[in-house]
Amino acid sequence: MAARQESVTVARAASRPPGRSLLPDRWLPYGMIGPAVFVAFAIAIVPLCYAFWLSLQDWYMLRQPLPKWGGLVNYRALLQDTQLWASFGRTWIWTLGTVFVELLLAMPIALLLNRETGIARTASALILLPWVTPFIVLGFGWRFLLDSDVGPIHSFLHLIGIAGDSSVLNDPVLAFATIIFISGWKGTPFLVIALLAALKSIPDELYEAAEVDGAGAWSRFWHVTVPSIQNTVVTVGLVLGILAFYSFDLPWIMTKGGPQDATTLVGIAMYKAVFLDLRPAYAAAISIVMLVLLFIASMFALRARRID
Amino acid sequence: MRRTSPLREAGLDAVTLVVLFLLLVPILWVFVASVRPETDITGGGLWPQRLTFVHYEAILAKKPFLIALKNSLIVGIVVAIITTALALPAAYALSRFRFHGRTFFGLLILGTQMLPSLAVLVPLVVIVRQLGLTNTLTALIFTHLALGMPIAVWMLKGYIDAIPKELEEAAMIDGCSRVGALTRIVIPLIRPAIIAVGTFAFVLSWGEYLMALALISKADVKTLPLALQGLFDPYSFSWGQVMAGGTIIALPAILLFLIFRKQLVGGLLAGGVKG
Repeated sequence: MAARQESVTVARAASRPPGRSLLPDRWLPYGMIGPAVFVAFAIAIVPLCYAFWLSLQDWYMLRQPLPKWGGLVNYRALLQDTQLWASFGRTWIWTLGTVFVELLLAMPIALLLNRETGIARTASALILLPWVTPFIVLGFGWRFLLDSDVGPIHSFLHLIGIAGDSSVLNDPVLAFATIIFISGWKGTPFLVIALLAALKSIPDELYEAAEVDGAGAWSRFWHVTVPSIQNTVVTVGLVLGILAFYSFDLPWIMTKGGPQDATTLVGIAMYKAVFLDLRPAYAAAISIVMLVLLFIASMFALRARRID
Repeated sequence: MRRTSPLREAGLDAVTLVVLFLLLVPILWVFVASVRPETDITGGGLWPQRLTFVHYEAILAKKPFLIALKNSLIVGIVVAIITTALALPAAYALSRFRFHGRTFFGLLILGTQMLPSLAVLVPLVVIVRQLGLTNTLTALIFTHLALGMPIAVWMLKGYIDAIPKELEEAAMIDGCSRVGALTRIVIPLIRPAIIAVGTFAFVLSWGEYLMALALISKADVKTLPLALQGLFDPYSFSWGQVMAGGTIIALPAILLFLIFRKQLVGGLLAGGVKG
């Protein structure tokens, strides 16, 4: 996607011969980029290394104020933590479910918006609103809509028999499914915009050629549209999958991980390990495991794309 | 698109409007509920019949909410200024200079965009605590720099790339220094992009929840998302007020994004922005 184009630009620009006046001072570029690089280091690289170091400490703040070397003690505890494994399992379902909802909603919407009418153009601007509205607003908005006393969507769900007297957010299975749907709904605009960009870059000649060959609408979609956008789908799907894997805000704001742990994703388990159990070293080990699992999954996803 | 009948387009437009409405209903409902009397929210029909601003009045009379509003403005504005001030020279260096480590530094900055806040939450919280900066806006500002900076750098770089470097060379022949050429030629030409990235950094900070939740617990340093949560008094709370508070948080984000949409959509796709 665009990130790849950027790195191509970097490579091309790097091979450009230095212009006459381009190097007035050897150190000027370092001085200019230095502060931004410092922030990147301080906010990403240093914390990641520190998390790894922290994960090897024994630090249970109720017992001791300072960390002491613990070796693999946290990882050993982690392996025996069945609740944590359950939340890892939940997080994979959540991630796949979120991306599935995003694909399901975004594909038809992108096809609808890929037209040159004023309404389609206005709609492709307004479609972004769920993506740009902060989670805290969406979370409380949905809690209101699903509230068993005042929520209009609750009334509707009650009417069609999905929800009983109490809100779907009080039922473990329904709550999990509902929040997955909301998570996908929030991410859909991003995929729509990416798909729109990919659709607009398909040359009309491809469709015309397919039509000359006698391809119907469905066949044109399958043989022209799908191959042209599949790279976008995989790359953006991966980005959205990573975002979903690291979800915290939405499930925390809506259900605090409940009812009965039904929406406790790994992120929430990690947060609770720091702030409720006061075990930062254990939480750091969780975040390292998250990173490793995500890295492996991304490798598989990217390889699948190469085989295609 | 290719030959299409006006009737078919009109039909698809109608479908588009319905789909758009369904997708936006949850957000529209927050706005609608914020201007309805409490009795209508809890008992009235779906269509709003009476309009009221009592919820806004009530919420803006609450001291904790006003303090949070002030804190969010401070954090957001400082984050926007620092982000822009760091990103502009970095983007310029990446665009105009050839130096060792250029690709590495560029990808390092972009890479931080891919890293979700949750992945660095634990170490950042411990570091902030050890530095004694828990419950300070300083710590919040610093962590919020990660939200918009990568996109700011790469967006500005794209804009600077598009400016012919002969313009600066001409200015330098006329006696301008390199930095002079930057401030007199480049900055005026990319002003819209500079304003867009600053706005963007502000909006991301304005709605940020996780870092604020993890770093802030004292009332006098809380930001708006935390204050909204605080409106949920378990014994008595007003849905109208919560929705009014939600509107106050959502509206600037939505308006600023719509205004700068053209500049921001490219950056959005480049970085896979954190929502």
